[in-house]
Amino acid sequence: MIRKYCSHFLIAVLAILLLCGLAHASDSDFQQGIKALGSNDFATALRYLEAAVTDDPDNVRYASEYRKAAIKNKDFDRSLKFFEKLTSDHPNSANLHLNFGFAYVDKIPVAGSITQVILANNALAQFSKAVELKPNWINLYTRGVSYLFWPKVFNRAPNGVADLEQALSVQKREQRQSYHAKTYIALGDAYWKTDQLDKARAIWQEGLKLFPDRPELKTRLAQQGDDLKNTIEANFDPNKRVDTDLRDLWASSQK
Amino acid sequence: MGKFAKVKAAVCVLMVSISSNAWAVQESHPAIRFEEIGAKAGVRVQHHTRKFRGKNAEVLRMFTSGGATVAVGDYDNDGFEDIFVTDSDTGKPNHLFHNNGDLTFTDVAVKAGVAGGNDPLSVVSDALWFDYDNDGKLDLLIARFGTPILYHNEGNGKFKDVSATSGLNKFGNTIAVIAFDYNNDGYLDLMFGNYFKPVNLQDLKDPHVLPNDLDNATNGGGVTLWRNTGKGSFEEVTDKAGFGQISGWTLDIGHGDFNNDGLQDIYIACDYGTDHIFINNGNGTFREVTEKATGWDTKKGMNADVADYDNDGWLDIYVTNITDEYMKECNMLWHNNGDGTFTDVSRETGTCDTGWGWAGKFADLDNDGWQDLFVVNGLRSAGPESYVPLILPVITTPGLDITDVNNWPDIGNRTWSGYQKKRLFRNLGNGTFKEVSSEAGVDNQLDGRGIGVIDLDNDGRLDLVQTNADQPLFLFHNVTEKQGNWIELKLIGVKSNRDAIGARVKVQAGGLTQIREVDGGNGYAGQSTRRVHFGIGSASKIDHLEIRWPSGHTESVNVPLNRVSYIEEGHGVVADGPLRQSGNPSGRLGVKSSR
Repeated sequence: MIRKYCSHFLIAVLAILLLCGLAHASDSDFQQGIKALGSNDFATALRYLEAAVTDDPDNVRYASEYRKAAIKNKDFDRSLKFFEKLTSDHPNSANLHLNFGFAYVDKIPVAGSITQVILANNALAQFSKAVELKPNWINLYTRGVSYLFWPKVFNRAPNGVADLEQALSVQKREQRQSYHAKTYIALGDAYWKTDQLDKARAIWQEGLKLFPDRPELKTRLAQQGDDLKNTIEANFDPNKRVDTDLRDLWASSQK
Repeated sequence: MGKFAKVKAAVCVLMVSISSNAWAVQESHPAIRFEEIGAKAGVRVQHHTRKFRGKNAEVLRMFTSGGATVAVGDYDNDGFEDIFVTDSDTGKPNHLFHNNGDLTFTDVAVKAGVAGGNDPLSVVSDALWFDYDNDGKLDLLIARFGTPILYHNEGNGKFKDVSATSGLNKFGNTIAVIAFDYNNDGYLDLMFGNYFKPVNLQDLKDPHVLPNDLDNATNGGGVTLWRNTGKGSFEEVTDKAGFGQISGWTLDIGHGDFNNDGLQDIYIACDYGTDHIFINNGNGTFREVTEKATGWDTKKGMNADVADYDNDGWLDIYVTNITDEYMKECNMLWHNNGDGTFTDVSRETGTCDTGWGWAGKFADLDNDGWQDLFVVNGLRSAGPESYVPLILPVITTPGLDITDVNNWPDIGNRTWSGYQKKRLFRNLGNGTFKEVSSEAGVDNQLDGRGIGVIDLDNDGRLDLVQTNADQPLFLFHNVTEKQGNWIELKLIGVKSNRDAIGARVKVQAGGLTQIREVDGGNGYAGQSTRRVHFGIGSASKIDHLEIRWPSGHTESVNVPLNRVSYIEEGHGVVADGPLRQSGNPSGRLGVKSSR
């Protein structure tokens, strides 16, 4: 009996050590990757960061930094293949699906106009999986904003309103973060895109009270007509690179 | 595109800005104005796109909605330019509008023998005037989804179908054709731009005929090049000349001397993928320089017009693409940097957004010395529902074969990029354009296709023909007041091809130097006048006028202002131009010649 307990204990210790070792390995790879990224050695960065993400697939930061390296190396197809394989291996990782979606978004500015539509649609599918798995703020916010990129003729902005309202509801239950200001901006844009200008102004006002330093909110509230249209539309130009860096999630300071 | 090229383009814009300050006419900008006189002039004819049979009928009709074209040329040498207009549905006649000289026209197509071509297995898609045998009389080529028809001008108001002996017997789904003398042998050659691969859509055996990629398609019809043998026939030289590898969905071809070496180069505008630019090697072959010159693109190229819009002595190229609420491609105005590269300045110049663009043509519409730009647009104006949402599943469904016409939904009565206002961009002479279509009276919302620039009444104000798919033709008479002085030159080649296509004219007046080349059908679905027109603003004289003929011969000529002058190669201005053009010799006026 004692031998049996000892055996179980040893196995448990071994398992903990192994897990610690693995976590350590992925962190080491991540640090090496970040170092290579910092010195513009993108090929090396991609290699280390792929190892880090593979070891810790649900780590949103690892995957985000990996995509950053892929963007800098203009290696969009490698990134897509990598996430396709990994989501297949880990279908229940919401963060992995989120980053897979962003990998599609990352390629959009360098694609042809029709391919852009295909990439956007694929991204949306991944964002939806992320929401299904974990309807948290980042997943709802991300999918909500992605709906707003679709031209009006596809009538997807109402879906964006729904997601962003839900994201707002989620964030109101959380400790306030500086990135929560983005929801007020985007939800106002979503209202504007669905011809609800009064609601748009109201939500921007509400956001400005909580985040009085956000220029995006001030600008929108100060503008009308074509000026406001140009400000909003400039954020949804498929030919411009969207900032898909998720650093806010780990770098935000409370405001 | 390198940084240097961009900086150079910016410097050019700055230089243009500076030079424009010296140009007196820029101080005041009289409004450009047109009157639409199609009905009054007797040319208000309706175009009909080809109807297909079977369950794929509407899809094929949608993909082949071209064929509304115009070709301008003085076929009877009476000094007034005539207009040929095509139709496309089975049995529908083409129209040859003879210019009566009083702003009215008479349709003589049936009498002349050029009304046909829309038979059950062939669709008329483009037309081109050119004098293939240098007899001084314009012959007529009808391009088709099928084999082309070549009509010889018999000189008595009648044309003879000489297709059978022309050698032009290859089937193609041609949408564009140009004439130019690629080897400078004095005979005009032909280049055909083909949209679909060469299968007969009227008798479809295999439904896999649509683009295999909507951004990088490689299963289109490409181009073919035909050398004029000088004996009344043509032989295909596509592969030999270096064009055999082009497999895109060609919609237009533009030619011009892009590198100022005296040889005609080629720009190929393709739908669903990259355009191509080829430089003439001078030995009967061309080399592709796309990667270096412009870079590869994924856009939906529809038009290639060539002009020196900024008067820097280098020919630029204007290409229309699709810019709409759901697709933001932007057009391309390729500024020629003079070093073998081009920079797209459409955004900077204000000419980026013309909706679903088709033809775009440069012309100095107010005679101020700066070429303006008219662009027509719009795919299909129909019911209130849009076709665009129906396409989304076709595009995004993984594994769906988009080449199969059966996988595309019928358009029914839906609209697709319809009801778009035409754009007229006034060249401000400072590297930018201003959109003035509304005040100019050309902001109609028909589904435009082709543009023909023409001087209907020889008054030096350039007029416009606008063709529209499944809709009536518009004829815009230029009634701009207080326009600048002008000259119009009709060049007659002797050693060079009779039409002088490829000849370059350089004019110095009022502190500006302008260049023009005689073109053989640049711009989608429209051949403009082959007269070379210059506005010179308030300048009261031409300081210098030099012609570089395709043969290499150059000569300086004095011409009177505000009238049409005929210039024969080596003989300067000839008093009896129209007669001279048709082969009857006469006297000469002032000429200074050099070789």
